[in-house]
Parts: sequence; structure tokens; C-alpha cells
Amino acid sequence: MPKTKILIVDDELIMRESLGGWLERDGYEVHKAASGEEALELIRNIRFDVLLVDIKMNGMSGIDLLKEVKSSDPDAAVVMITAYGSISSSIEAMKLGAQDYLLKPFDPNELGVLIEKILESRAKTLENLYLRDQYRERTRFESMIGQSPRMQEIFNLIEDISPIDSTVLITGETGTGKGLAAKAIHTQSPRCEGPFMGINCGAIPEHLMESELFGYQKGAFTDAKENKKGKLELANGGTLFLDEIGEISMRMQIDLLRVLEDRVFYRVGGTQPIESDFRIIAATNMDIETAIKKGQFREDLYYRLNVISFKMPPLRERKEDIPLLAKQFLFRFSQEMNREVNRIDRDTMDEMMLYEWPGNIRELENAVERAVVVCKSDSIIPGDLPIFSPELREQPLSGTLMEVEKEHIRKTLDSNDWNISRSAKALGIDRSTLYSKIKKYGLSGNG
Amino acid sequence: METSIHRYLENIDFALDHNRNQYHSTAVLDRLSSLDLPANSRIVALTEKDLFIPILTHVYGEAELGGVSCIVSSSRLKDDLPAIERDKLLGNRIIKEILHELGHTFHLLHCRDKSCLMHYCRSIRDVDRKVMGMCRYCSILLEDQLKRG
Ligand SMILES: [Zn+2]
Ligand SMILES: [Zn+2]
Repeated sequence: MPKTKILIVDDELIMRESLGGWLERDGYEVHKAASGEEALELIRNIRFDVLLVDIKMNGMSGIDLLKEVKSSDPDAAVVMITAYGSISSSIEAMKLGAQDYLLKPFDPNELGVLIEKILESRAKTLENLYLRDQYRERTRFESMIGQSPRMQEIFNLIEDISPIDSTVLITGETGTGKGLAAKAIHTQSPRCEGPFMGINCGAIPEHLMESELFGYQKGAFTDAKENKKGKLELANGGTLFLDEIGEISMRMQIDLLRVLEDRVFYRVGGTQPIESDFRIIAATNMDIETAIKKGQFREDLYYRLNVISFKMPPLRERKEDIPLLAKQFLFRFSQEMNREVNRIDRDTMDEMMLYEWPGNIRELENAVERAVVVCKSDSIIPGDLPIFSPELREQPLSGTLMEVEKEHIRKTLDSNDWNISRSAKALGIDRSTLYSKIKKYGLSGNG
Repeated sequence: METSIHRYLENIDFALDHNRNQYHSTAVLDRLSSLDLPANSRIVALTEKDLFIPILTHVYGEAELGGVSCIVSSSRLKDDLPAIERDKLLGNRIIKEILHELGHTFHLLHCRDKSCLMHYCRSIRDVDRKVMGMCRYCSILLEDQLKRG
């Protein structure tokens, strides 16, 4: 799980610095903005867990910033910082969705307790999401399709390293299919009869990570009603895949290093050493060597993991595979949605070949999925692809329940880049219901 | 490791905030860090004055994260001292807070382990609960930092 990110918005330098320093020593990743405008700029690129916003600022006020933040991200936790005499605006802020407010100067305990409370409730939500999602990984074999020389190289490499029982580190941008490469190594290795245990280190709240990996003993904590095996134990005889390894905390790095060195570990709350025999494959989209220089990743752990390593090529470096991949996705989604879309027209394909695909295969997959949904004939045209659509325009909200629902669904789809699975999850309905609603309302990304 | 006591500052009146009648700890740290110190050294200031940083009502101490200087105030550490073994307990509290702040100068962050020196204390009782040592994780992280030099 990435470090908790906190944004401080205050136009007084000394307040930003003193609060920032305190929070940094408390282990948070702190960002600072000197104005509401600057804050909005930062929010565009970074998702913050908590925002600490001074109510009284020159330029955009804290209240206006709160409104902006809440309209784009209703779940954002915003805490207002206020001085004596502006209690009424704090009360207004609470009505507008602020989590709480602090009167400055505040007691360090008050701040600590407040942040902990916010993070705890967020962790609960994440925990539920994680537990609900862990068996629904959206990885499919198409990503490993490729006739390009780059992919042929990868296939040969995987064949060569599969029988060797060494640790493997797979690097590469997000969406390049690192997880599938790991699975391929496992399937071709002597451990193929054993389990393949995957864990996404970037998606698990820190406090869950320990028990997920090591398991726990009954009574180790309040919720530990019985013994539970962790992934390390469950991977016995097989392969343990640690995805997004760059995201694990310093403490977990120390624990993991010990496991790699001794091949022995303890369940949380357990005193009995447990042995487990597994091969580790780790993956990351981070530049670990830079992280080491910054002191965010342990060099000794890196050397333990980086026995054999290779990089999954980004899609833009194997563009000759795009037509093949796109057709596979088209085939799958048109079947799933029961739609007669069976062609991608020439112009669309040309556009697809020109585009750089920063989100790689996953972005291509999402783009094709959305195109199948919005396509109005049997063939996909450039306008069906989100990457080439004109800017989406905001529509005013109006009264009827149906209109509200339509608007809500459209907004959710837009904010999830028309990824149907994610949008359906966000809306709390299943994919087929979402498809039928999209049809019913005639929704498309073009406004 | 060598330790020595110096009289670098006559007083910290320059850090006094007249409105709050407290001393701004960051101002003291800035002054200390501008001193000409031997390489790889750390400087700890100890004061009886009550410290604050502008956004907070008070602090027990402050340190530059990964820097050279830190400061500890005994002012609030004197709260709730028992009648017997007063000095010993106060001494222990001060040493714990000094080691805690020194930890920060070696890049250590707060630790969730309540018995660890790097735990952030919400109350004086928390300070007393800490043992005079670091947990396994913080010890390893400190060792790493010492190796880095
Ligand atoms: Zn501290
Ligand atoms: Zn510790």
C-alpha cells in the first residue's frame, strides 16, 4: 500500500512548514499548497487521503476549495483549519461535507486522533473492497499474445528461466501484463502442480498485509477467531507472486527479507516457526534503483529479489501487436455483451496504431470494451474510442429520478474512463445491469 | 560514539513568542544547525522552557528529520511525577525523549509499537510506558542509517 498522502493547504508559509514537519515525522507523505488554486492543480494528478485546509486564505477560500474537491471526489476527507472567530464558517464547512475542523493552534493529540480516525474508516472501506475483489482479478490471457520480436524474446526468456528455481523480478509499466508473465513462468516450471499465490502489495491496507502474508494465530487480535494460513504458507510447493512490490512498507520489507534469508517465518501472534517451500516472483512498475537511492526500498531485499529480471515491453514498443490484440478484445467483448460488432474500421485502426497507449494493454482493453458498448453499427469508428472523443461536456442536473440516475451513471462511467467493471462496482450493480442501463439511456462518452 | 557538553547558546530568548509566552522550537533548531559542528555530529539542546510550533499548542521536543539538531523540553515532562524516585523517573523521561528526537535526525519516523522509543507519545503516561530501547524494526532502520554514514 502506498504511504498515506496528506495535502496541507494554507497561505501562511510558517503554518504549512510546522504542520508539514510534524506530519512527516509521523510517517506521512506530505504535500503543501499555498493557495486553493495550487491545491486544485495538485489534486488533478495526486489522490490524497486527507486534506487539511485553512478556511481563511487569500484568493480562493477554504470553503470554495472544499466545494470543488467534494464535487469531484465526494469521498475525499477534508479537515478544515480555522482560527478563533470563524466558527460559523467551520459549521458551514461541516454542512458542505468537511470531515471535521480544528481550531488553531491545536493540540497534537487532537490532530493525531483525528487523522487516525479518518484513516481507520478508509482502511475499512479498502479492506472490504480488497476482500470482495481478490478473486476477481481481471487478467486475461490475451495480453500474452504477440507476434512482435519483443514478445517472441519474452516467450523465449520465460521458457529459459521457468525451470530454474531462482527468484524473478519482472519490471515494466502498468498494464503490460507482468502478472500474466509470472503465471506463465509458474505454469512452465516444475512447480506447476503446486499453487500459484498472488498478492497485490499495492492494493492491501498495511495492517492487513502482515496477516495476509504470514497468517495469524487464533487470538492474535480481536478479529482472529481462528487460525488462518497466510499466502506464504498456502504457496507451499508452488509460486508466490508479489505484485507491486515497490509499494510495501519499510517494516514489511524487513520481514520479507528475513523470510527470504531464513525461509522460516511466524504467523502473527504465533511462536512456532513455519517452513514453506515456494518460489518468489515479484513485479513492479517502479524504478526500484531510484527508490533505493531515496532510502525507500532496501538494497539487500532488492538483491534478494533481483536474481533474474526482465522487463515487459510497453505496447508502444510493439505496436505491430495492436491489430491482433484489438481483434481478440473485440471478439471477447462483443460476445460477452451479445452485440454484433465484428469490425474495427481502417481509420480507427490507423488511429490506434498512432496512439502511444500510456496505459498499455489494459488501456487498449478498456478502450475496445467501451467502443463495443457505444458503437452504433457493426463496425467500430474513431468516435467510439475514448481516446479520440471530443471533450465531454457537463450537463445540468434536472429533476426526475430517471434523469438523476442517468446522470449519475454517466458521471461514474466518465470518471472510470468507461471501464465497465470498475463503474459497475462503483455503482454497486453488476456488469450486465450496467450494460442494459447504458442501452436504455442511450449513453455514450460523446455527451 | 563521543558525547560532549557545550554552551553554544546563552539562552533561547530569541525564540520567545510574547503572545504565547512559549518558545518556538524550530527557531532554536535553525540557530543550532547554523553552528560550525564537527562532521557527522548531532546536537541536542535541552531546555526547561515550554516549546511550541506555530500550528500546535505545544511540543515535547522537535528534531530535523535527517538533520543535525534536535531539542527537548523538560517543562511538560515534569507533569505527574510521583513523590518517590522523582529525579530518576524525570531523568528517564528526558533521556527517552532525547533518544527519540535523535532517532529523527537519523531519518527514523514514528513507530506504532507502544514500547518502542520511536513511538509518538500522546501523554506523559505513554512516555513512561516506553522502554529504554527501540523495537526490532527501528533498530534495523537505525543500523542502516549508521552504515550509510
Ligand atoms: Zn517524534
Ligand atoms: Zn519502533
